[in-house]
Amino acid sequence: MIRRSSLPISRRAALTALGAGATLTALFPASRSVHAAPAPAKYFVGVYMPHGMAREFWVPKPGFDISYAGSSLAPFDDEATYGRSFRDQIVALEGLDLTAGLRSSTVGHDGSRVILTGSGTNGQNASIDQFLAIEQGLGKVTPLSSLVLGVGEARPALQWCISYAKGGTALPKIINPLATFNQAFGQFLVDPDPAAAARAAREQRLGKSLLDYWTNDLAELSARAPQAERDKLDQHTTALRDLEKRVIGQTVTCKVPSRPDSTQFPSVGSYQGGEPYFEAITNLQIDLMVQALACDVTRVSTLFLSDLSRTHFDPQLPEDVHTDVAHRYASPGRNGMGGSDAASQVRLARQNHYTYSKIARILQRLSEAGLLEQTVLVAMSDMRDPAKHSSRQVPTLLAGGWGGALRGGRHIDLGPDGTPSNRLLVSVQQAFGVESNSYGQSQDPSILSGTLTLT
Amino acid sequence: MIRIRVTSCALLALAISCAGNAEPPTEQSGAPEQSLATGLRRLSTAELEASATTLLGINTGLAAALPPDARQSDYSRNVAQSVDSLLLGQLFDASRSVTNALDLSLPQFPSCARTAVATDSTCAEAIVKLLARTAFRRAPTAHEVEQLLGLFALGAEGVDFKSGIALVVRGLLGSPKFLYAATLGEGAPGPSGTTRLSNEELGSELSLLISGQPPDEELLLAASRGELESGVERERHALRLLQSYQARYLYRRFVQEWLGLVGLEGLAKSSQVSAEFPALREAMVDQTNQFVDDVFSLQGGSVSALLAGGYDIVPAPLAGFYGIQPPAPGARVNLTGLGRVGILQQASFLATFAHESESAPVLRGKAILTRLLCLDFPKPTDLGIDIVFPPADPTATTRERYSRHATDGACRGCHAALDGVGFLFENFDAAGKLRTSESGRPIDTTGSVQLDGQTLALADSIELSSALAKSEQVQQCAARQVVRFAAGKTDALVERAFVDSVKSKSPERRGTFLGLFLEFVKSDWFAWRKPQ
Repeated sequence: MIRRSSLPISRRAALTALGAGATLTALFPASRSVHAAPAPAKYFVGVYMPHGMAREFWVPKPGFDISYAGSSLAPFDDEATYGRSFRDQIVALEGLDLTAGLRSSTVGHDGSRVILTGSGTNGQNASIDQFLAIEQGLGKVTPLSSLVLGVGEARPALQWCISYAKGGTALPKIINPLATFNQAFGQFLVDPDPAAAARAAREQRLGKSLLDYWTNDLAELSARAPQAERDKLDQHTTALRDLEKRVIGQTVTCKVPSRPDSTQFPSVGSYQGGEPYFEAITNLQIDLMVQALACDVTRVSTLFLSDLSRTHFDPQLPEDVHTDVAHRYASPGRNGMGGSDAASQVRLARQNHYTYSKIARILQRLSEAGLLEQTVLVAMSDMRDPAKHSSRQVPTLLAGGWGGALRGGRHIDLGPDGTPSNRLLVSVQQAFGVESNSYGQSQDPSILSGTLTLT
Repeated sequence: MIRIRVTSCALLALAISCAGNAEPPTEQSGAPEQSLATGLRRLSTAELEASATTLLGINTGLAAALPPDARQSDYSRNVAQSVDSLLLGQLFDASRSVTNALDLSLPQFPSCARTAVATDSTCAEAIVKLLARTAFRRAPTAHEVEQLLGLFALGAEGVDFKSGIALVVRGLLGSPKFLYAATLGEGAPGPSGTTRLSNEELGSELSLLISGQPPDEELLLAASRGELESGVERERHALRLLQSYQARYLYRRFVQEWLGLVGLEGLAKSSQVSAEFPALREAMVDQTNQFVDDVFSLQGGSVSALLAGGYDIVPAPLAGFYGIQPPAPGARVNLTGLGRVGILQQASFLATFAHESESAPVLRGKAILTRLLCLDFPKPTDLGIDIVFPPADPTATTRERYSRHATDGACRGCHAALDGVGFLFENFDAAGKLRTSESGRPIDTTGSVQLDGQTLALADSIELSSALAKSEQVQQCAARQVVRFAAGKTDALVERAFVDSVKSKSPERRGTFLGLFLEFVKSDWFAWRKPQ
């Protein structure tokens, strides 16, 4: 049983006064039918893929054949490894440009900022995951608004983040599975020792008082703050709400997973000796993420995947994947420009294959939990050709059922002209019942609107 | 005596440089034409840790328990920082752990704390006022003290006095009034709509900017008396705060973030380039920190000394890497004969701006032109140019592989400047180790730089460092960096105004970072804000 929070009126009132009222209003706006219209999509998962894509081994062959030799999409049709084929649950979407980034010098590695925000470095809007979780209320009813995860690199910096708060601030990622566990499930652990229960009860009492104290302090500060700081203060209010849900305590109906064994990953950071453990870390992050969705701890999560550099997981790839695979990739691309080195394409496809194998694991876990049909999964890199650092024609993987808004088993080619990726984000929000026809920010508003035909 | 404190000698030079100016010290109290904006800045994790450590009198290690900071304009001290769910949750947990180590027997607490019982509200009030004064960087109001005493009573109830104070500390560490440095101003707006920072805000900003710490008692008293309205008084306190041992951490961080060296701990090099690199990274960071300590403590953060002081401080583990015998700890070593005259030839800089397996003339050139000269360059993609990395060629030098930049008209526009500077460092490999040949061919370190309106043909990076050390353009960029750090954002108008204002100052002022910091806190740009 989930024990729902019963907030003290004073704190709730104070949170509303802080600007949360505006957020609450936006949860169920009359003009946007989050719940009025059918909105069966329930979970959002965004995945960042490193190092672009070897198109030569990404484009499905006729009949949506993704199992040909060297295909990077092959993990999605690998029943032996993942329990079933997900061939009919994916769409290989080709032809998107990170246009908002191209218009604002936010390209190449910086293009990761554009993937879920649909805006460049000067954008003030939230990424679609945070928009759904905070502004549209998807995270309001769950213990955590969202779960922002990564592997290897925790910095909330340009090039390393896909999740952004309203106001444009990059959100930090959790890269340690133990921290992920504590964040998602730590609050649900019950120590049977009566003394521990007494301590927990006291801690809850103290925690509520601290929350009241901080809420009042924030209200005092907000009263004096300029309007320009509103987004920052709203984010703080959201943080207090998330902490409040944790302090007050809720129970979950599902089985809380066991705590990860940290001896499996004595180090977790890139260049800090964490690379040998990235396989175990990635798998744990994925499993914990899906379990958090399954337990309704959250309905929104993003995962910033690492590359294979220095891991030596694939003996056929060099140590420095960034330089010797991504930078050495030589492809004429679909415009016929550039060199061609078949061996370099094979190498990048192997890197892509590894990344897709992790996304196949996400689908496997979602399927096992019965969540796949209601999940919107978007996986994208910040570039197509990593040697050129080109954020045009970025191959994109869509997966899950999208609550009926996605018909899988297809290669959708939008053509070589470059469709703004904002249209994908519009389609995502519409899958959750948000009827707005635009997403993102740009000096050229024409790129922000429009949808994709995905069914 | 701790040598790396800013010494009286260096401070004396800075103070004299002010008094020795042709212009006498003046009271600047008018609203400037250009102003920074009012706002709330969440403290960086380093500032949070420093404040928590001051609060409790023990090393809290708080920063390591929190998510890393977002950066803006390269600096972690910035107005983009926010309080997100992850940070607040981890701060909540960390503050509980921190208070487990609370020691009320430390001399900073009143003696009553050692024997007080849970119901001793008099002692509690004394401690609450003390703690809140540090945490809020100002005296708490009666209402705030009352609220905190409420927390004390709850925490102490049925337990003990210390538990009550522990809950107060937790409350303070999570309070928005602690987490945000407010620069909201007070009073009626001036003629241009700007408002002066409140006395409390002046004290808070001054201390955080100069020492990275919350204000001490002397500064709080000065603020409460309205003395900090005077730029001269602000400068006097700043000179005093520079003697704080903890101030060095702020300037280490400033230099690391200015030059982009913060990623060094997260760097790797191909094992074919340097198998020893992982074991040396910490020593490389240590070297730069010791060098920065030296230049700031003895030469006021002289820009020319940082760039071309002609000496270095080499930790023993790096001696072999540099090809010298291990020097005595902290001893100055002249490495000019080995191609190194300052911070740009330290392994930390050279390795940071290089690829994993090869040097990176473009990255090195860009780092110098953007960070030391404050120039901007468009990305190739902005110009419709696809980046094409030069293919690996075991028979060619890196310089030869980048030759297309000089022949391709589309590239040449920017790369003549970028590569011209970057090639000067080609005698250093991807890890920053000296080399005389590459791919069996001799290294060519010639290059050029456009500096102070002139194009200089240079033989190597030593000549570049020497030219940069004398450059007016570099000094102006240094002044801009100080404004960015202080403002927590880029504000081109205030930067330009400040640069203009320091042009007439003595070399000790405009040519040293500490001089520039002092000039800024003394100025009206520090004290006034325009409404957002």
